[in-house]
Amino acid sequence: MTRDPKASHSADLPLDRIAPGGISVIRQLNGAPSIVRRIMELGLVPGTRVEVIRLAPLGDPVELRVRDVHLSIRRSEAAHILVRPV
Amino acid sequence: MSAPSESPSRRIAILGNPNAGKSTLFNRLTGLRQKVANYPGVTVEKKTGVCELPSGSRVELLDLPGSYSLRPGSPDEVIVRDVLLGLKPDTPPPDLVVIVVDATHLDRNLYLALQVIEVGRPVLLALNMMDAAAALGIRIDERALETQLGVPVVGISAARGDGIGNLRRLMEREIEPSNAHFRKLPPHLEKAVHKLEGHLPRHPGLPERGRDDFAMALLLDDGEDDVLARSASPETHDTVRELRRELARTVPDWQTRDVQGRYGTIDGIVARALLAPGDRRDIVRDRIDRVLTHRVLGPAIFILLMGAIFQSVFAWARPVMDVIAVGVSSFSQLVAGVLPEGPLRSLLVDGVIAGVGATISFLPQIAILFFFLSALEDTGYMARAAFIMDRMMGGIGLSGRAFVPLLSSFACAIPGIMATRTIDNRRDRLTTIMVAPFMSCSARLPVYALLIGAFVPNRWIGFITLPGLTLFSMYILGILAAVVVAFVLKRTALKGGKPLYLMELPPYRIPSWHSIFLTVRDRCLLFLQKAGTVILAVSVVLWFLASYPRGGPQEVEMRASIARAQKAGNAAQAETLQKQLAGVALSHSFAGQAGRLIEPAIAPLGFDWRIGIALITSFAAREVMVSTMATVFNLGDAHQGFHSLPETLRTARDPATGALCYTPLTGISLMVFFVLACQCMSTVAVVRRETNSWRWPIFMVLMMNALAWVTSLAVFQGGRMLGLG
Repeated sequence: MTRDPKASHSADLPLDRIAPGGISVIRQLNGAPSIVRRIMELGLVPGTRVEVIRLAPLGDPVELRVRDVHLSIRRSEAAHILVRPV
Repeated sequence: MSAPSESPSRRIAILGNPNAGKSTLFNRLTGLRQKVANYPGVTVEKKTGVCELPSGSRVELLDLPGSYSLRPGSPDEVIVRDVLLGLKPDTPPPDLVVIVVDATHLDRNLYLALQVIEVGRPVLLALNMMDAAAALGIRIDERALETQLGVPVVGISAARGDGIGNLRRLMEREIEPSNAHFRKLPPHLEKAVHKLEGHLPRHPGLPERGRDDFAMALLLDDGEDDVLARSASPETHDTVRELRRELARTVPDWQTRDVQGRYGTIDGIVARALLAPGDRRDIVRDRIDRVLTHRVLGPAIFILLMGAIFQSVFAWARPVMDVIAVGVSSFSQLVAGVLPEGPLRSLLVDGVIAGVGATISFLPQIAILFFFLSALEDTGYMARAAFIMDRMMGGIGLSGRAFVPLLSSFACAIPGIMATRTIDNRRDRLTTIMVAPFMSCSARLPVYALLIGAFVPNRWIGFITLPGLTLFSMYILGILAAVVVAFVLKRTALKGGKPLYLMELPPYRIPSWHSIFLTVRDRCLLFLQKAGTVILAVSVVLWFLASYPRGGPQEVEMRASIARAQKAGNAAQAETLQKQLAGVALSHSFAGQAGRLIEPAIAPLGFDWRIGIALITSFAAREVMVSTMATVFNLGDAHQGFHSLPETLRTARDPATGALCYTPLTGISLMVFFVLACQCMSTVAVVRRETNSWRWPIFMVLMMNALAWVTSLAVFQGGRMLGLG
């Protein structure tokens, strides 16, 4: 599901493209509604700051810090989260 | 104080996010007065305990599984939702709900808390980890939070015991059902929910205010939620479909709109209640993680830790298991000495005591494995282990959490399968359970040792001996089978939408001995209660098959010869005859007949009827194969016969043709069969328990044995074609 394509902006990047240490703000989430809902329920709603902490030793998954909680998410799923670096 | 026998009348449920300290609080409030069972029909654990309140009255405390949302994403969360909405007939809804909220992560924890408050039951909010919050400089205005939420709030530290007295006093108070409402829905959605509410049946357990939650859940259900679907009528489902179509047109993001709205509400609440946000950077955590998830050090430490655990399950359990074996055998002798020889003695000694002995001999391995696993889980390390391993396990379609159960299965599949509970996704978990028994467990070692000793010459091949290489190949074969079967299962029977992997990496904590002890105790008890009964029953059946029918003409004649030899004082001859008698009795028994019956089916694999008997009896435990072969070859039982058994097998000749019964190729084929076949009743029993159905254990037995048969056939026939026979 794409949420309001007009909100998307050229400066937005998929979260899996943000390097460790990078801080960004969530803009929109794409994908199956039940999965998008789950990700949002864990606090990743549009407007929330996300810090990429590190990649796992084999390069996937990625560790995030959102609302002071550390979460790990596969890069394939992070690709569905569009963010704007700050 | 009320009489201890009086059953508690009030029920209080504890719930909260994973890692909010829910179980620590539960342990603190109940002490040792708790028990674990399963919710009927699912493998989610139901932990209940008795809690004494200041007045001396007792209440029943229910520890609900950790949950992020009442809109469930896992079987655990379905239970929480169902208990709270009164949808579970076996678990009456609680009279009071204690929500445990982690004060150091207020906003994320409030998401669930607001949902729970809206259901409209009496609610109490325990603001946990106040000590950790204070250390980080976080200050929360509890009274402001109380005003904002409309429910009593009490600050506690479950780990240190602060504020528990206040909490107990509040738990005793009569608390009004909460009536706060936080959800703001777009008008179209609100209307749809309201309309659906009118169609819902009245549930006695469902509070009036919980009805719109139920309606919303029905709207959002994507077909995974059986309980919900069953509790609504076909007409209601029609209405749901109609409303969904309408919503898709009017509110494109209706499925997620309320989540964003709720976080908006939370931000408002936090702005009023959070006096100081504190310095949130956890420096200790950063330092530890930099080492434990380091590109090189991380995997190295992981492998080292796992190796240490594997080694301790493998090695430390051995002496305890030996002590148990000695205890069981001396108890058998004691019983045998008291009872006269006959069917009853045989049933007790060879059936019941042997079965009980088989069951308890697993306890050391289970206890050791779960000691380490629960300690590592409580520190927060297991989440890192899954983080490190996810990529590798993902290659065969499993989650990072599958690694530890599979590794443990090299010691024994029983604790390994029990350890799959940490895998959230049902399909991932079932796949892991199905492939765990392919890992060569310690019970296969005696079989490998016997066959390698009999048929594999001790020669050096480069830096490894041929026996060593053979043994190594057997382990590799099991791993390959697991990879292939997991790959196939994930694409066929257990196919499904790729589950979302979104896992919290909790802060590091020092584990509590008390909680580790409780976990180990619960694992052992659950195993004894559930798997133990099946193992005992199968032992008795196997005993019967190997002991009856008895008293054939040949047996009677041999008994007479033994009596004559004893009378004549020829002890040596009597003993030899006694051993022969055991062999004759076994080959005439039902098991012996079955061995002959299946001979045509196993002959193409190079097995004769004697191996057939061993395949049947080894269902009690794989190592029983060794003692069965000893008995069949008239060597007496395993203790005396073991040393000469490899030689006997190597040189056994068919009396009719004079040809060797078994060639080295037979030995290899038989080892391959033991790698792949499901010959362990305890594994079947534990799979039955962990999947709560007979479907999966039956499938497992058929699948593994078919694979074993085909592979051994290929090995034996292929080997013969190459002239290795």
